[in-house]
Amino acid sequence: MADPVPASVLGAPRRAPRWARRSPLATAIAVLVCMVFVLPVLWLLVGSLRPADEIFSSLSPLSWRILVPSQVTFENFAGLLLGPFGRALVVSLLVCLISVAVGTVLCALAAYAVAVLRFPGRGIVFAVIVVGFMIPFEAIAIPLSQLFTGWGLTNTIIGLVLPGIGNGLAVFNLRQHFLSIPASYREAAMIDGASEPRIFGSIYWPLGGGALVNSALLIFLGQWGSFLWPLLVVSDRSLQVAPVALSQAFGEHTSNFGQHFAGAVILSLIPAVLMFIMQRSFGGLSIASGEK
Amino acid sequence: MVQVPLTDIRGGRGPEAVPRRHRMGRKKELFWAVVFLLPAGLAIVSMRIAPALGAFWTSLHKGFPGGLKDPAFSGFENYVALFTSPAFGETVLRTVLFNVILNPVQILIALMLAVLMTRRLHLRGLWRILLFVPATIPIVGSSIVWGIAMRPDGPLNAILDALGLGRQPFLTSSTHALASIMLVATWVGVGYWMLFLISGIEAIPDEYYEAARLDRAGPIRTFFHITLPMLKRPLLFVLVADTVANFVLFVPIQMLTGGGPQNSTTMLMFDAYRTSYTYSDKNLGAAQVIVLTLIMLIFVAAQFALLREDEKGGRNG
Repeated sequence: MADPVPASVLGAPRRAPRWARRSPLATAIAVLVCMVFVLPVLWLLVGSLRPADEIFSSLSPLSWRILVPSQVTFENFAGLLLGPFGRALVVSLLVCLISVAVGTVLCALAAYAVAVLRFPGRGIVFAVIVVGFMIPFEAIAIPLSQLFTGWGLTNTIIGLVLPGIGNGLAVFNLRQHFLSIPASYREAAMIDGASEPRIFGSIYWPLGGGALVNSALLIFLGQWGSFLWPLLVVSDRSLQVAPVALSQAFGEHTSNFGQHFAGAVILSLIPAVLMFIMQRSFGGLSIASGEK
Repeated sequence: MVQVPLTDIRGGRGPEAVPRRHRMGRKKELFWAVVFLLPAGLAIVSMRIAPALGAFWTSLHKGFPGGLKDPAFSGFENYVALFTSPAFGETVLRTVLFNVILNPVQILIALMLAVLMTRRLHLRGLWRILLFVPATIPIVGSSIVWGIAMRPDGPLNAILDALGLGRQPFLTSSTHALASIMLVATWVGVGYWMLFLISGIEAIPDEYYEAARLDRAGPIRTFFHITLPMLKRPLLFVLVADTVANFVLFVPIQMLTGGGPQNSTTMLMFDAYRTSYTYSDKNLGAAQVIVLTLIMLIFVAAQFALLREDEKGGRNG
C-alpha cells in the first residue's frame, strides 16, 4: 500500500518533477477539452433563458447567436412551473424530504449497531448491509415493482419513498464516523445508567455532524435522480415525480424546447445548490478539486 | 480483544461476578443490536433480496395472456424460449458489444482526463469542476439536451453543415443510433469516473516520481511504470462501477430512441422493461432480468480476474 506518511514526517515539500511544472500547452489542451464538456451545458442554460423560437433560428445559417440570446426571459420557467411540472416538482421534493428524514435515521441506527455494539456476526451483518444495498437497483426494479403491486403500494408516496431509504454507502460512511467517537463517552453514559437508545440519541446522533449531512445528501441525490422506479410504480399523473414528468412532456409535445431546457436546468440546479450549501457549511462531500 | 482486560480490572472482586455481568451486558447488547438493525434489515430483505429471489421464481413460471389464470410452473421454458429467439440473441450480442466497446473507451478517456488534470495547469480547479459539470445534471436533463442537439435540424448538424461535413441522422438511423447513445453516456459519465482516478493519482507518493526523475525516465515511461501500476485499485473500482452502470443504462434509450430504429438500440435492460410493461409478460421479463444480471456478473468477475492476474504478472516481472 502507498504510504504518504514519510514525506510529511520529514517535512519534505511536495515538489512536482520538472516535466510537470505548469505548462501553457497542457492548459491549452485542458481548455479545449473542457469546452467539449461545457458547451452543451451552456447551450442548455442559454436555451432556458431565451425566447423559445430563438433556439433554432440561430442554427441555419449557423451564427454566433447560437449562444447569445437577443433578450433574457423567464417565460420558459414560468410556463413550466405553472404546468404539470410544477406539481411534479413538489411531489419530488416531498419524496426526497421524507426519504432523507426516514433514511438518515434508519442508516444511523444500523451504523450505530455495527460500529458500537458488540454481538456475534457483526462483521458479516455489516458486509451484508453494504453489499446488499449495492446491488444495482435498476436490475431488481422491475421484479420489485411487481411485489409493490401485490402490497398495494403502487401510486402512493410511500411506494416512491421506500426503495430509497436504505443506502449502503450512507451506513458505511456513518459507521466510520461513529468508530471515531471515543468509547469513553458511551462508558460514562452507561455508568450513569443510560440505555442504548439514550446513548444513541444524546451522544452519537448529535456528534454525527458532517457524516450525517453526507448520508442525507447521498439519500437525497439517489431519490432526486430516480426515473425508472417512479415510472414503474406511479401511473397516476398527479403523483408523478419531476424527472418523469419532464421526460413525458419531452416525448409528447416536442415543440416546447425552451420549457424542456428550463426543466433540465431546474432539475440540475436544486441538487447543485444543495451540495454547494452543504459543502460551505459542513465541509462535507469532498469532490477532488483545486490545488493541494 | 482489548476490552477483556479492562473489565477484569474493573470488576476484579469475585471470580464469578465478572463473567456474569459480562454475559448480561452481552445479551443486552445483542438485544439492542437486533432492535437497531431491524429497520435496515427489513429494508434490505424486502427491497433487495426478496425481488432478486422473486425474479428467479417468477421466471420459472409461464403466464397466460390476459392474466385470467394464475401463472403455472414451467421450469426453464422461458429461458429456452429466450435463447431460441433470434431477436433476443441479437439483443444479448448487442448488449455485450455495447459494453465491450464502451467501458474501456470511457475508462480510457477518464484516465486521460485524470492525467491531464493532475498536471500543473493554470486554474486547475476550474477545469476540474467544468469537466464534472455534466455528471451533476440528472440523466433526464442530459438526455433532453442531447436529444434536441442531435435532431436533424439541431445544432450538431448545423455545425457539421457549417464545417462542410454532411449532416448525420444521429438518432434516426439504425447505423448511427447506438453510437449516439454511447456518446451521451460518455459525456455524462467520464467526468465522474475521472474524479476517482484523480484522487488515485494524487495518492501516489511523490518519492516514486522523484526516483523516476533521478532515473531520467520520461513522462511516458513514468506513466506506464509508476502511475498505471499504482492506479490498479481505483481503476478496477471505476471499471466495475462503470460496467454496472452501462449494463443497466435505461434513461437515454427510453427517452431518445425507444430501442429503435429497427431495434438497433434495444439493450437487455430496456428489453426487460418493454417485455414486462409494454408487452405485459412479467414472467418472460423476469427471465430477461436474470439473464442480464448473470451476464453482468460474468463481466465483473472477468474484470476482477484480469486485473488480479496482471498484478501477479507485474510482481514476477
